[in-house]
Amino acid sequence: MLFESPYLFIIASSLAIGLIAGIVMHRADFCMTACFRDLFLFRDGFLLRQLVLLVVASLVLFELGRLAGLIKPYPFPLLPPPSLANLIGGFLFGIGMVLAGGCVCGSLYKLGAGSLASLLAVLGMLIGSTAYAEIHEPWADFARATRLAEALTLPQWLGLTTTAVLLPLSGLGALWLAREFRAGRMERPAWARGHLAPWQAALILALLGFLSWLLVGMPMGITTSYAKLGAAFTSLFAPEYVESRSYFSLQSLHYTPPFSDQPIQGGPGPALDAIAAIQYPLLLGIVLGAAFSALRLGEWRCHFRLPPRQIVSALAGGLLLGLAARMAPSCNVWHLWGGLPILALSSLLFLAGLLPGAWAGAYLLRRFVIR
Amino acid sequence: MARRLELDIRGQICPSCLLLTLKAINEEAEALRRGEAEIVVTTDDRQATATIPAAAERMGYHAEVASLDEGYRIRVFGGR
Repeated sequence: MLFESPYLFIIASSLAIGLIAGIVMHRADFCMTACFRDLFLFRDGFLLRQLVLLVVASLVLFELGRLAGLIKPYPFPLLPPPSLANLIGGFLFGIGMVLAGGCVCGSLYKLGAGSLASLLAVLGMLIGSTAYAEIHEPWADFARATRLAEALTLPQWLGLTTTAVLLPLSGLGALWLAREFRAGRMERPAWARGHLAPWQAALILALLGFLSWLLVGMPMGITTSYAKLGAAFTSLFAPEYVESRSYFSLQSLHYTPPFSDQPIQGGPGPALDAIAAIQYPLLLGIVLGAAFSALRLGEWRCHFRLPPRQIVSALAGGLLLGLAARMAPSCNVWHLWGGLPILALSSLLFLAGLLPGAWAGAYLLRRFVIR
Repeated sequence: MARRLELDIRGQICPSCLLLTLKAINEEAEALRRGEAEIVVTTDDRQATATIPAAAERMGYHAEVASLDEGYRIRVFGGR
């Protein structure tokens, strides 16, 4: 046992991982929204290639970690069974993230660097995540009714061993990436101060995801804490409302963390539980890490001149993003950095929805917001 | 002396910087090519310091990035 209580170790690990992630994302401007948006808006696949690198690197790390018995539980907790809810949630998430100008994680590092637009987006996400409590029951029924399989991952569903599916896939991924590197398509000139090449950021973030699973018991995820923060804030002036919503009494997480023999649990309610211990420090770490990075570079500054259309877009996009992150459930970082590398079926469905969602968001952005 | 078109895109949501610059490049295409105009973008978007020069070069123009106290200044100019 590293510490008396499992919480202290989890909080310290998550905070450290968040701080490094915040610095790295700020230095490389590693924006998950831009990965998809720029493909549709500018026919520019540069950042999407970096995401492929992150996913392939995570796939290899996670599988080696699993084979060595280092990461557990496997698959990680909080992974939903595949259903149409993942697909629809992913679609709405895609629209929301493009309109908000950043996803759940990206908005945090931009907020840390002083972006007012990202502050509005984060406020929208808090409201959207909390408002999900209003539709939780019918939506959970819908997810159950449209469940596509009991298996959680593609290898399970195919009845194959994890290695049998992941090994050829990682080989193909590595070959493709090697070709892209040789052709010079993984790097481009950049003039930003303290710039970190996105491919380096992708590798560091893959390593952080692995460390998160190793130390905390799951890859990086933060979206439940948005509903949690919203519930905590709401219960300050309307505690009876929070108590009356079944969503806030859920205990969706039950697990025994690594380096502990004490099972812990948590959910989206306002209590300071396991979810709070895992996600609050990560969220805070990303904001503080990015703020530290921006201050060190002399780039921390706040601008208040946001065109009215962009104010509406950031808030409305954030709202949709927050709601969709609860419907999916979970965000792009959880699904693409955590679920996709182990071929979680829900993450594959989320991605299948996210692509057309980002396309639709890019259309709306160009048509109505930035003119 | 080339006519200077100034764009101040500090603080706006992504990807305002690249979208508005591309729009200006398209509107000023002829004048840019003849060297009669240049576009100067002031931004705090770190990403734009890579994406704007890349897009401008692809379209056959030149771009220069300078670091300022208030962010970055990207100058797009010249023809083929």
